[in-house]
Amino acid sequence: MPETSQEVDTPHAVEATDITLAHGTFVALAKSSCHIPAGRVTAVIGPNGSGKSTFLNSVTGLIVPVGGTLAVLGQRPVDARPRVSYVLQNVEAPVDLPLTVRETVAMGRYASLGWFRRLRSTDRDAIDAALERMRIADLAHRHLHELSGGQRHRVLVAQGLAQEHDILILDEPLAGLDVVSAEVIDGIVHDTGDSRTGDRRTVIHTTHDLSEAAAADHVILMGGRVVAEGPPDEVLLEEHLVEAFGTRGLHPPVD
Amino acid sequence: MGIQQRALMGGILVALMAPVAGTWLVLRGMTFFGDAFMHGVLPGIAAAVLFGFSPMLGAALAALVMVVGLEVVRRQTALREDAGIGLLFVGMLALGVVMVSKTPSYAGSITSILFGDALGITPQDLRTQAVIATLVIGLSIVLHRPLITMALHEGKAAALGMNPRLANGLLLAMIAMSVIGSYRTVGTLLVFGLMVGPAATASLFARSVRQMMVLAVTIALFSVVIGLVVSYHLSTAASATMGLVPVALFFILLTVQQIVVNVRRRGVAHA
Repeated sequence: MPETSQEVDTPHAVEATDITLAHGTFVALAKSSCHIPAGRVTAVIGPNGSGKSTFLNSVTGLIVPVGGTLAVLGQRPVDARPRVSYVLQNVEAPVDLPLTVRETVAMGRYASLGWFRRLRSTDRDAIDAALERMRIADLAHRHLHELSGGQRHRVLVAQGLAQEHDILILDEPLAGLDVVSAEVIDGIVHDTGDSRTGDRRTVIHTTHDLSEAAAADHVILMGGRVVAEGPPDEVLLEEHLVEAFGTRGLHPPVD
Repeated sequence: MGIQQRALMGGILVALMAPVAGTWLVLRGMTFFGDAFMHGVLPGIAAAVLFGFSPMLGAALAALVMVVGLEVVRRQTALREDAGIGLLFVGMLALGVVMVSKTPSYAGSITSILFGDALGITPQDLRTQAVIATLVIGLSIVLHRPLITMALHEGKAAALGMNPRLANGLLLAMIAMSVIGSYRTVGTLLVFGLMVGPAATASLFARSVRQMMVLAVTIALFSVVIGLVVSYHLSTAASATMGLVPVALFFILLTVQQIVVNVRRRGVAHA
């Protein structure tokens, strides 16, 4: 399907206009604009330190842009948070944390339950479904430190799936995984739901991998700023890639 | 109630609240911070004793100074947080001793604040302790979800709307309350033994957070009783003996656990 016809009838899930992202005095993403189409898969690609993770943190409201405007589902990122599920990169669970796989996945429901509301049967169903989809139902009562790295990562993705969401964000979901875990998680990355029922969700993931980015519907190429964005075949061109990956100018001065 | 019974009751109340707060400190990897924080409230208590106002208020004020001080160090310098904690820990402890040294009964006051005076517990002390213990346990229940999510990952807790800043603030209040509710019995220096010792020991064996807390409280209760009995028969300082037992237990049980693990491993190798 041509990109343009999709973009007309789908509003943008995320709209960033002239945003600047910084940690203290360090500018991670210089003044840039980009958007993320709703109901599609967007890959954010760029080298380490290019601003990918910082951008995801701003979409989830964990950091606030120092300039520009950022709208998520038409709201401020903080207000959109309950509808955005964020799977973090490489969470190393402390070894002595006495948590089972199921308890960890259940945390995804806290987004709607808050500090106090009890788990109901719909919550338990969502947890079970997430465990099934990540093929870790048989590990439900194991402790986190008894799992392999790949299994632990699947637990965190299941935690993200258990949360009701319109946007699923995965930070480098495929980095350093065993084959089974990579296959299972890749299935999640490219599943935006059923277009016929209108039950579509937006997936955003970051990657270093060009072939992974090429498999997305929309690509945002970062190198300290947004270098290019659009359909993969328009973005993943040599001139853009050299600019983002091949030069040392990761953080060019703001215009 | 006689002196010994009041000491036992005071110890039991400490054993019910301190390990609950301690469990969160261990799970969050904040034991060093907790230790510093406990000594940091000393000047507050000292000022209260000196000027005759509520030790609760004094400790709360000192806790606030600690938190603000840590935030300043964190924001204004590139020093790692533990440097700030260490700095404030020594500073506040020294300030506390300086303040107490202005009181006429310097030696007596400082010893009883730092090391407790289990045999000097009054019925009024017990009532205050009971109220504080209830508050600490209540806070622990209220904060269960945010704290366990933060123990996994602070950023994830924020993304889930768990309000880590508020939860952290209330956790500090919980620790401060545990210290205030415990210092009369075991002292600010030794409360750490009953707060973190049992929790650390419990973490060697517990399969869930609830199990860890129940086990930690059980170990603390055992420590209080054993500590009092030993101190009675050997005429040692009651509070210090109570503080010593959980730490000794930790190393004994750690050794036992290691032996069990080794035996099992050998069994697997031979199978």
